[in-house]
Amino acid sequence: MKHLVYLGIGIVVTVVFFILSCSDGFNIYEQLFFNQGYNDKMFNLNMYPVIAAITIGLAWGGAAIYYYAINSVKFDRWYHWLAVLGVVAVLTPVVCYIYNDTVFADNGLMYITESIMFELQTVLFAALLFIVASFSMRWWSSNCRHTPIPQ
Amino acid sequence: MRLFLFAIGGTGSRVLKSLLMLSAAGARPLDENGKPLRDLEIVPVIIDPHKANEDLKRTEALLNDYRDIRRRLYGNEPNAEGFFANRIVTLREIMSNTSVTLSDSFIFNLGAVENAKFREFIGYDTMNEANQALTSLLFANYQLENKMNIGFVGSPNIGSVALNEIKDSNEFKAFSNIFRQGDRIFFISSIFGGTGAAGFPIMVKNIRQAANLEGIENRDALSRAPIGGLTVLPYFTLEGSKQDQRIATSDFIVKTQSALYYYKNTLTGDNDSNVNSIYYLGDQVRSKPYLYDPGEHGQRNNAHLIELIGALAPLDFAGMPDSKLSDPDGYPLPTAAYEYALAKDELSINFLSLGRRTRQLIYEPMCKFHLLFLFLTTGFKDIIGQGFTEDAPKIKSDFLASQFYRTLVDHFMEGYAQWLTEMNDNMRSVALFKPGEVDMAHAIEGVDVKKRLLGHYKVDNDVLKAEMNKLSKNNPKYSEHSVEYKLMDLFNQAAHNVFVERYENIN
Repeated sequence: MKHLVYLGIGIVVTVVFFILSCSDGFNIYEQLFFNQGYNDKMFNLNMYPVIAAITIGLAWGGAAIYYYAINSVKFDRWYHWLAVLGVVAVLTPVVCYIYNDTVFADNGLMYITESIMFELQTVLFAALLFIVASFSMRWWSSNCRHTPIPQ
Repeated sequence: MRLFLFAIGGTGSRVLKSLLMLSAAGARPLDENGKPLRDLEIVPVIIDPHKANEDLKRTEALLNDYRDIRRRLYGNEPNAEGFFANRIVTLREIMSNTSVTLSDSFIFNLGAVENAKFREFIGYDTMNEANQALTSLLFANYQLENKMNIGFVGSPNIGSVALNEIKDSNEFKAFSNIFRQGDRIFFISSIFGGTGAAGFPIMVKNIRQAANLEGIENRDALSRAPIGGLTVLPYFTLEGSKQDQRIATSDFIVKTQSALYYYKNTLTGDNDSNVNSIYYLGDQVRSKPYLYDPGEHGQRNNAHLIELIGALAPLDFAGMPDSKLSDPDGYPLPTAAYEYALAKDELSINFLSLGRRTRQLIYEPMCKFHLLFLFLTTGFKDIIGQGFTEDAPKIKSDFLASQFYRTLVDHFMEGYAQWLTEMNDNMRSVALFKPGEVDMAHAIEGVDVKKRLLGHYKVDNDVLKAEMNKLSKNNPKYSEHSVEYKLMDLFNQAAHNVFVERYENIN
């Protein structure tokens, strides 16, 4: 039961993150990096929900792969988990950047520096969501349920 | 049911050691339906005046370790599954009558015998001249001068006199008080030495004639008790000694013949019901020669196949249905004799050399115990803090310093490794497991791991750990148990699953 509560909390936090990333008023992506022209374009081109979805997908997907696909006694130490977090934290901005660049290019726009600055915050969000996902789903893993911190 | 197990002399101690190893592995007596016997308590009593005997000391230490480990695992519960399943207790532990003073030991106190020369014991110096002359005819001078704290140096004629004192001992009284109808008695002794050859018939005589003894309770139950015995025939040789010929390999057969005739006339004859089941065990292939030592230097003989096979006898006897031992009125049936044969007459014995029935009894338990030995000695300490060790109750790093762990790994497992090595180095060589092999997939001699799509299955600490993780997940069973129980029970189940899934089935 306790574990289902953790899963529920994780899903709620993730949904709130998604809602805040699409919001016109308080937009979570505009709190750490704001450039009027760049962020307006992001919003108008409806890119925030996709960026958020990529971040959520990679964070939860990475955690799922670690706990249920890798799920090995050879990779059950905290530093193995940290390595996967690192991969997610690097992969997410790269994928987001490629997406940004493609959409901007399709619209005849180019925001290289701004995009790089923007993607830095997705490193943070991806890492945070990976931690949330880890603590939501790890309990049912046969070999890694005690990683990174024992129950 | 209680099985009172009298291990007499050096061979008795060594067979008992093998029984301990089998019990630690989880081998249990099976009833006629092949189910493990319930409510069994084994009460070993070592009878040997030679207290400095290294074989006795090693067995006693292992018995105490076994008892400590088992108590920590299962408390006083007689029925357990897995490692250390058989409950082994001292007489003191199960006696309720405190009027008899008894030490909490597996060793029969032969104080009066141990501390005297044989001539002092029989009062030779106080005999008249005629009796002294008669005594000198019956006993050689070195036998009269023998100080009995080194045993009877292969002289059953000394033993038969000295051990007759047993019936007056506190241990015998305690045993007779504890013994109840339904309990059984088993003797382990050799027939070609001194202590065992003499002790077995004397003990049987005293039990069967309990009605004539003073201060003995349960006389009727004792005189009707189902009695079994393992009589070990010559199986080892001694290095010759030119200066001292008190014990000589060349005498073993003659002594055996004489004792067998005596047994036939007094214990195991056609219509004799003193002993209900007698197991004869010997080997024409003799061991590597043991160091000649009549007792002064401690007598330490390597473990041997015969002792391992011999340890199956009490298990077989315990599982025997009552109908094979007593008539419908409860009186003991005449002696039935049993022998043992290997499936393959080889000099190097592995599990495939043993018969199917033996394999069914010991193959899986011994393999699982060997995996436990490898697991605890090669990888366990590195996995503390991960996986199943973090499930409640948690196994923390201080567990490695606990009394239980140290007794199990530093003492018992060391004894186990030594036992395996000694049997492996002996003749016939018992090569159940490859010596020094830490790769679990290749540790069992003559048995491979199964093939799978690409190559063979792996068996290693990671595989076992993963299986234990799986079994431990959300398992409420262990929350009420100790960490010791959790570790051993989880490993037992995991090893069973891995064993069935990954090793070839030879049963």
